[in-house]
Amino acid sequence: MDCYTANWNPLGDSAFYRKYELYSMDWDLKEELRDCLVAAAPYGGPIGLQSAPSCWTVLCQDRVAHILLAVGPDLYLLDHAACSAVTPPGLAPGVSSFLQMAVSFTYRHLALFTDTGYIWMGTASLKEKLCEFNCNIRAPPKQMVWCSRPRSKERAVVVAWERRLMVVGDAPESIQFVLDEDSYLVPELDGVRIFSRSTHEFLHEVPAASEEIFKIASMAPGALLLEAQKEYEKESQKADEYLREIQELGQLTQAVQQCIEAAGHEHQPDMQKSLLRAASFGKCFLDRFPPDSFVHMCQDLRVLNAVRDYHIGIPLTYSQYKQLTIQVLLDRLVLRRLYPLAIQICEYLRLPEVQGVSRILAHWACYKVQQKDVSDEDVARAINQKLGDTPGVSYSDIAARAYGCGRTELAIKLLEYEPRSGEQVPLLLKMKRSKLALSKAIESGDTDLVFTVLLHLKNELNRGDFFMTLRNQPMALSLYRQFCKHQELETLKDLYNQDDNHQELGSFHIRASYAAEERIEGRVAALQTAADAFYKAKNEFAAKATEDQMRLLRLQRRLEDELGGQFLDLSLHDTVTTLILGGHNKRAEQLARDFRIPDKRLWWLKLTALADLEDWEELEKFSKSKKSPIGYLPFVEICMKQHNKYEAKKYASRVGPEQKVKALLLVGDVAQAADVAIEHRNEAELSLVLSHCTGATDGATADKIQRARAQAQKK
Amino acid sequence: MAFPHRPDAPELPDFSMLKRLARDQLIYLLEQLPGKKDLFIEADLMSPLDRIANVSILKQHEVDKLYKVENKPALSSNEQLCFLVRPRIKNMRYIASLVNADKLAGRTRKYKVIFSPQKFYACEMVLEEEGIYGDVSCDEWAFSLLPLDVDLLSMELPEFFRDYFLEGDQRWINTVAQALHLLSTLYGPFPNCYGIGRCAKMAYELWRNLEEEEDGETKGRRPEIGHIFLLDRDVDFVTALCSQVVYEGLVDDTFRIKCGSVDFGPEVTSSDKSLKVLLNAEDKVFNEIRNEHFSNVFGFLSQKARNLQAQYDRRRGMDIKQMKNFVSQELKGLKQEHRLLSLHIGACESIMKKKTKQDFQELIKTEHALLEGFNIRESTSYIEEHIDRQVSPIESLRLMCLLSITENGLIPKDYRSLKTQYLQSYGPEHLLTFSNLRRAGLLTEQAPGDTLTAVESKVSKLVTDKAAGKITDAFSSLAKRSNFRAISKKLNLIPRVDGEYDLKVPRDMAYVFGGAYVPLSCRIIEQVLERRSWQGLDEVVRLLNCSDFAFTDMTKEDKASSESLRLILVVFLGGCTFSEISALRFLGREKVRCWRRSP
Repeated sequence: MDCYTANWNPLGDSAFYRKYELYSMDWDLKEELRDCLVAAAPYGGPIGLQSAPSCWTVLCQDRVAHILLAVGPDLYLLDHAACSAVTPPGLAPGVSSFLQMAVSFTYRHLALFTDTGYIWMGTASLKEKLCEFNCNIRAPPKQMVWCSRPRSKERAVVVAWERRLMVVGDAPESIQFVLDEDSYLVPELDGVRIFSRSTHEFLHEVPAASEEIFKIASMAPGALLLEAQKEYEKESQKADEYLREIQELGQLTQAVQQCIEAAGHEHQPDMQKSLLRAASFGKCFLDRFPPDSFVHMCQDLRVLNAVRDYHIGIPLTYSQYKQLTIQVLLDRLVLRRLYPLAIQICEYLRLPEVQGVSRILAHWACYKVQQKDVSDEDVARAINQKLGDTPGVSYSDIAARAYGCGRTELAIKLLEYEPRSGEQVPLLLKMKRSKLALSKAIESGDTDLVFTVLLHLKNELNRGDFFMTLRNQPMALSLYRQFCKHQELETLKDLYNQDDNHQELGSFHIRASYAAEERIEGRVAALQTAADAFYKAKNEFAAKATEDQMRLLRLQRRLEDELGGQFLDLSLHDTVTTLILGGHNKRAEQLARDFRIPDKRLWWLKLTALADLEDWEELEKFSKSKKSPIGYLPFVEICMKQHNKYEAKKYASRVGPEQKVKALLLVGDVAQAADVAIEHRNEAELSLVLSHCTGATDGATADKIQRARAQAQKK
Repeated sequence: MAFPHRPDAPELPDFSMLKRLARDQLIYLLEQLPGKKDLFIEADLMSPLDRIANVSILKQHEVDKLYKVENKPALSSNEQLCFLVRPRIKNMRYIASLVNADKLAGRTRKYKVIFSPQKFYACEMVLEEEGIYGDVSCDEWAFSLLPLDVDLLSMELPEFFRDYFLEGDQRWINTVAQALHLLSTLYGPFPNCYGIGRCAKMAYELWRNLEEEEDGETKGRRPEIGHIFLLDRDVDFVTALCSQVVYEGLVDDTFRIKCGSVDFGPEVTSSDKSLKVLLNAEDKVFNEIRNEHFSNVFGFLSQKARNLQAQYDRRRGMDIKQMKNFVSQELKGLKQEHRLLSLHIGACESIMKKKTKQDFQELIKTEHALLEGFNIRESTSYIEEHIDRQVSPIESLRLMCLLSITENGLIPKDYRSLKTQYLQSYGPEHLLTFSNLRRAGLLTEQAPGDTLTAVESKVSKLVTDKAAGKITDAFSSLAKRSNFRAISKKLNLIPRVDGEYDLKVPRDMAYVFGGAYVPLSCRIIEQVLERRSWQGLDEVVRLLNCSDFAFTDMTKEDKASSESLRLILVVFLGGCTFSEISALRFLGREKVRCWRRSP
C-alpha cells in the first residue's frame, strides 16, 4: 500500500495519469499481430483478431454498420457486439478464398469474387442471390465495383485487372474492354467513372429514354419525334407522316417527355440540342403541355455544361446533379473559389439573393479579407463595392472573419458598412474597442446592448476613465444612473462627485436623510451635507430650505419631548396647526415668528384651526387682534363651512364693501345683499344676487332688483 | 360604438385579438413549468392580468395560490414558484431574498421569473449579483398592449413618463417600437406616419428597423389603420395640467380610473361596500355621458331616469301574458340599466360634493385666466392662497406648473416665494419634488431679465444650434422654453366666443375645457392630419422646440378614398388624459375616426 502512487505519472501541475493491467492473456496465433486485422467494440466489448483477411468491406444495414471480412474460405460479419460466420446462399462450391468484394453505391448489393474466378452477386444482407458469373480468370482483380443506376432493375459489376475491364451481370456473356493504361474505378450513383493517366471515362447503363429513342429501328414515340424534327428541318413532308403516326397513337406528350429526358442524359451539347429541338418541335402540336420540365432541363443542362467544362472539371451527370442539389454544387464552386461562375449560375437560375448571390459574395468577402498583401483600405473598399447593401450580407460576419485573421483595423472598417449598429457591438467588444462599441450600442437604441457594453467598460477601465466615458454619453449615463439608484447608491454618489454635480449631490443626501437614517442626529447630519452641496451648487434657496428643515426637525424633536404627541416630519404649517389645536398658542406664535410665517398664512391657519376647534370666542378675539390681512370674507366662509350662521353673520358685517354682497349671500341674507348691490349699482353683483333668488320668499327682492336695473338703464 | 353623425364611420379593428394573443402566450409560459405552482404577481400587473386571464384560467393551468409581490416574506409552501413581474430591480431583489432564504433553509424549489413586457439585462445582472441567476429560469411575456375599450389601447407602463422625461432613460422606447411592430403585423402596415417629439422619432426609427429586418411579412396586406400619429407628452404639458370637466375625466380626477375600471366607494354605491366598475363602451349609460361636459350630465341622467321610470310604469296596465313577457325579456335589461344609472348618479353627486368644497369654480376661473394670459398677478395670489389653505398638494403643484409653462417660467421672486409657501404647507421633502419638476421642465424659473422677446430670440438661436447638431444632451428639456403664448396665438387655442359657449352642442374641441381652450395636443393632430404633413406649421414646430423631431412618412400610392385610411392611431408617449380622448373622439365624429393609446 505504501507505494500505491508509484505508477502515477504527473502531467502538468495538477493531473496524474496511470496505466494498469486488467488481466494477463495470450493470443493463440501463429502470425505476428501486425499481420492481423483487429476489430474491437467500445465499452469493454469483445476484441476480434483475425489473420489478415483476404478482403473486407463495410456493409450498412438499417443504419448499423457491419464489417464483412473474408478469411480463407470463410466469411465473417462483425458488428459492435459480435462476430458471426455467414454463408452467401447459392455460393458455388470449391471456394478456398475470396479475392475481392464490392458493395453497391446504395449499400443494397454485394458482389464477391472468388479464387475460382467465380463472381457471386446478391443482396448485402446475404439472404438472397441475384445472379452469378464465372469469368474463369483466377488472377485477383485490381478492383471490382458495382455499376447500377437508380430505379433500374439491371445489376452489373465492373471488374478491372491490369489491362482488362469486364462488365458482368445476370447474363451468360460479359462485356470486355481493353485497358491501355493503369486505370482506377470510381463507383458513382449512376455508373462508374474510370480514369487513367490520360483519360477520364464514364461507364453506365444506357438510360431507358435514350435507349428507346436511339435503339436501332426503334418505333418509340421519342424516336419518331426526333426523326420528324430532322425531316422537318430538311423541309421534307416525311415530318408530317411521322408526326401523324405519333399523334394517331396519342403519344405525342410521351414523345416530348422522352426527348427532354434523354437530352438530360447526353453529354454532348450537340446531341442535347437536337433532342431539345425535337421536344420543342413536338410541343408546338400540343395544346396543354406544362413548360416547366422543358425550361428546367434547358437551365440544368446549361449549368451542367458550364461545370463540365475542363477548366472547371466537375463531370456531373444529370442524375448526380439532381441528387446533389444546386446548393451543394454552389458550395463546391465556392470552396474552389470559383466565385464568378457561382454568381453567374445564381443569377441565371434567379435564386433568391439570400441563398444565392449574397451568400456567395459573403464567402468571397471572407476569402478576400485573408489576402494579406492587399491594404486594409483597398480590401474594405473592394468588398463594399461588390457587396453594396445586398440584402442578406452580414458585414459583421465578414468583419469577424477579418478579425479572426488578425486584421483588426480592416474589421473596424468593414463594420462601418454594417447598417444595423446592434450587430457591430459584440465584435467591437471582442476587439476591445469598447468605447466605439458604446457609441454603436447607443445608436442602435437597444438599451440592453448599451448596458452590456457598460458592464464591459466598467471591468475594463479604471473607475475614473469609466466615469469620463459615461460623461460624454448622456444616454448611457442616465441608464447607468438608473441602475445605480436601485443597486449601487455609493457609485451614484461618486458619479455626481466626478461631475461636480452638487445640485444632484444635494438631492442625493436629502434622499439619504429619509431612507437610511433613523436617528434625528443622523438625519440632521445628512441634511447638513446636503445643504453644503446646495451652497456649492449656488442654489441658495435649496440650501436655506434645507437648513430650515434641520431647524424644524430639531424643534419638532424638542416639542415631542416636551409636549408629547406626534410632531416629527409634519410640515411647518401642520406643526403650527397641531400646536394651536393642542392649545399651545404661545408656542405657535413663537414658531411662526421664528420661521417667519407670512401673516396671510398665519391668519388662514389660525382661522381654520380655531374654527375646527369651534373655539368661537378665541376666533373673535383673534379677528379683532388687528386688521385681517386676508379680509373677513374667509371668516364668513369658514364659519359657514362649520354651519355656524350666527358667527358667520358677525363677520359678514365686517367684510369690505367689494365683497359684501358675496358675504351676505353666503350667510343667506338675500334681501340685504340686494340692497347693497343696488347701492353699488354694480351689474355683476345684481345678477349674482338675482341668481340666488329662489322660490316665493325672494320674489319681492327679485322685483326690487329688476326695478333698480330698469332705473339704472333710464339714467 | 355607433355614431349618429357619421353613419359611414369606418369599422374599428378587432383589438380583442391582442387579448387572445397575450392569453395564449401566458398559458404557454405557465405550461413551461408543468405541475402545481404558486404565482406571485406584481401589484401593478394585477389589473392588466385580470383583463387577460381570470383566476379560473390560471387554475386550469395548475396555478395553485396567488400572491402579491410585496416586501414581506412569502408563506408559500409550494415546490414551484412562478413570478410575474415588471422588469424592475426591486423585484429582482425580492425574488433573490426569497430564493436565498430557501437556500439557507436547505430547501430546493423551482423558480421561474416571467418578465412583462420584456426582460432587461440589468435585471438579469442583479439576479447574477445576488447569486441566484442559476437557480431561476427567466422568460418574457410580451404583453405590451392592453385594449381598454373598443377604441383605446394602453401599454400600462406608468413609469414610462418618469423614466424617459425625467431620468432620460430610453429603455422603454424599444418596447414602444415592439408594440408598434405587433400592431402592424396584426393589422397591416400603416400607410401614413406622422410624429413630433424626440421620443416619438426614436420609437419610430426603431420600429422602422424592426420592420426592415422582417420585411415581406406585412407587405401586400390591406392596411386596417390609415394613419399613425406619435406625440411626445412634453410637446403639450399644458393640456395635461388643466382640470378636467368632461365626465370621464372628472371620474378619473376624482376616483382614479385604473386599467379601464374604477373603484366606487360607499359614498357612490350608497351601500356599505365599494364596487369595482368597468368603464367602457359596454356600459350604455356611461357611453352616452363619458364625453359630455359635466354640466350636461345631470340633465341627461335625470332624463334617463324618467324614461326608465316610464318603462317600469308600463307594467301597470299589463295583463298576465304581457307581464310574463316583460319579466322574462325586458326586466333584466331595465334592472341593469337602473343599477348603472344609480351608480353614475351617485358618482356625479360625489364629484359635485368634492368640487364645491374646493371652490371648483374659482379654480377653473384661474386656470382659464392662466391659459388666456391675463390677471397673472391675481392668479398668482390665488395659487398662493391655495397653498396657504392646504387645499390639495397635487392641485397646488398643478397650478404652479400651469403658471410656469404658460408664462415661460416663473419670475424669480414668485418662483422662490411659491416654493417657500409650498414647503411650509406640505412639508420640506418637496424640495426634491421641485428639483424633479425643474428637470422635467414643468416648473422653471425665468432667467433674470428675460422678457418674452428675449426668450424667443434665445430659443430661435437654440434651435439653429440644434440644427447644427450641437445639442446631444438627453435633458434638452432644461433649455426648453414652452412658448405657450405664441403657440396659442398661432394655433388659435383660445376660441373667440360671442356670447355663451353652448356646451350642449359643442362646435369645437374646446368644449372639453368648457369652451375656453382647445387642447394643444389635439389641435396639432388635427392640423397635421388636415394638411397630411407639417407643411405650414414650421413656426409652430419651431416654437415647440421640435424642429428636428417632426416627421412625416407617406406611402407613394395614396389611396385617399380607401375606407381604412380614415382610421387614425394616435400614440401619446408618456400618457394622455381623458379630456384629450374625448376631444379626439369629437374630432373623429366630426371629421375622421380616431383611436388612441397611451403608454
